[in-house]
Amino acid sequence: MHIPEFLTSQLLVSVAVLLVVFHVILGGAGMCIYLERKISAYIQDRIGPNRVGFDFGLPFLAFLKGMWGLGQFLADGLKLFLKEDYTPARVDKILFALAPALVVIPPLVTFAIIPWGGSWEAPWLPIPFLGWLPPAVVLVAGANISVGMVYVLAAASLGVYGITLGGWASNNKYSFFGGLRATAQMISYEIPMGLSLLAVLLTIGSLLPEQIIRWQYQHGWLILSQPIAAALFYVTALAEGNRAPFDNAECEQELVGGFHTEFSSMRFALYPLAEYAHLITGSALFAMIFLGGYHLPLGFLGSNHLLSPENVTTLGMIAKIAVFGGKTFLLICFGMLIRWTIPRLRYDQVMTTGWQGAIPISLFVVIVTSVMVYFGQTSLLALLGANVAMFFVILIALPLMPKTASNARIPLYGSRYSPMEGERVLTGPTNATALEDRPVQGTLAS
Amino acid sequence: MMLLATKDLSSYLPILLIILMAVSFGAINVIGSLVLGPKRDGTTKAQSYESGMNPVGTARKRFNVRFYLIAMVFLVFDVEIVFLYPWATTFPNIAPMSHEGLIWLGRIFFFLLTTVVAYIYGYRKGVFRFD
Repeated sequence: MHIPEFLTSQLLVSVAVLLVVFHVILGGAGMCIYLERKISAYIQDRIGPNRVGFDFGLPFLAFLKGMWGLGQFLADGLKLFLKEDYTPARVDKILFALAPALVVIPPLVTFAIIPWGGSWEAPWLPIPFLGWLPPAVVLVAGANISVGMVYVLAAASLGVYGITLGGWASNNKYSFFGGLRATAQMISYEIPMGLSLLAVLLTIGSLLPEQIIRWQYQHGWLILSQPIAAALFYVTALAEGNRAPFDNAECEQELVGGFHTEFSSMRFALYPLAEYAHLITGSALFAMIFLGGYHLPLGFLGSNHLLSPENVTTLGMIAKIAVFGGKTFLLICFGMLIRWTIPRLRYDQVMTTGWQGAIPISLFVVIVTSVMVYFGQTSLLALLGANVAMFFVILIALPLMPKTASNARIPLYGSRYSPMEGERVLTGPTNATALEDRPVQGTLAS
Repeated sequence: MMLLATKDLSSYLPILLIILMAVSFGAINVIGSLVLGPKRDGTTKAQSYESGMNPVGTARKRFNVRFYLIAMVFLVFDVEIVFLYPWATTFPNIAPMSHEGLIWLGRIFFFLLTTVVAYIYGYRKGVFRFD
């Protein structure tokens, strides 16, 4: 029988990887909620969820009770499905239904190009009614496309639509402000993300994810040769996913629930789901770009050990997937640690960090990297030295950037810079009231 | 063993599949909870929740011009980054210290300079100030 030309081993493996990873990420997003509750509980000296097991209330499954609360995400998901999906009277009905679906699509689509298992020599693969495909070396990734990292940026930047439309469609002032804030923040942090990725691509000279990992296999991990770009990428990935400490869009003290105030039932659940899927995808991308992907520094085992890109055996593929997954898991835990350690930034601090900090720094990194590339100095030590030098230049230069005193054309009345008539502006602690109110140990006046 | 991505369109079939999967996941969730959940209504329930107050007017109001300015400056930068990607993939493959490399570097520095000028203009105008 004749097999159509587009049916290759790569296509079959890609479809299998997509089907598996899609469901792993959906389940993983559910488990992330459990993990986050458990980690926050341990940080705050509590126990966290520990009741819901997998016994489903059935007597003969009683031995599955408890299980450290692992069944919590199933129970939560089922409960959210069976709650009332309410549409308030004044919302924009079509956009209100569309926005939660739009917000969940980009993070679920972005992971497609991540090469979880590197190259793998596929065995004879059967195609029903048509015959067998001969063995071939394929990439164990969702898709082996030539645009590579550009696809990641394109898919990731679509995430802003769901949040903007969700805030707009709700017709609620708090939702609207939350949506506006999230939109401005996400588009602002997209620029340093693209620029820090550009610095990486300049050192490698390829857009393909597999090439990025191979380069790190030969020259050492990129977090060592591009530490500033790595830090920028991690921070912007947190900000893109509206994660703490950049979660101003759902800042409860100011904005009720932010852009998802009016949503209920599964339409609400899609927002946290998208956030956690974003966290998983972002962690996997960071592991791939800066932490060597499936590679571990095991050079002493010889050149053809299990994690080397040249190893195309099935065992090697499984080991690579395990290492890649482990790195992603550790990065997810790190993101959660950050959320429960660092307090939320104020909104103007977020925007100032983005426009007056991250963007000039990332532009500077790109310019210095391109000069280094021109002189052919892309070894680990040269780039590390350049990064250290850049770090000190940034430390000295950033505070010297001219501070625009105030915008004389459009004064914002009532703000700190243009107070209203007769209003007293507090710029700092004016007296020692706070000191005096403290329980005094000894004398206050020393 | 080198494994390069093919350039024909059939390598994008998995992308089509994953988009279909994600879209159907979103649609099933939105429709499913609409079908499965209970339905109760009321005039107070239908109000939008604004901290427990009765909402005054709609949210379709004028908002601060800063968000608009940020969006415009974002366009300048984002388009620039898109143009930089093809350059970033070819420039490292040019021989270092060569005359051709210097020309490529000079051209892209001029291109970056236009954006830096835009950035400084926005900075002086106070676009990036949030107080």
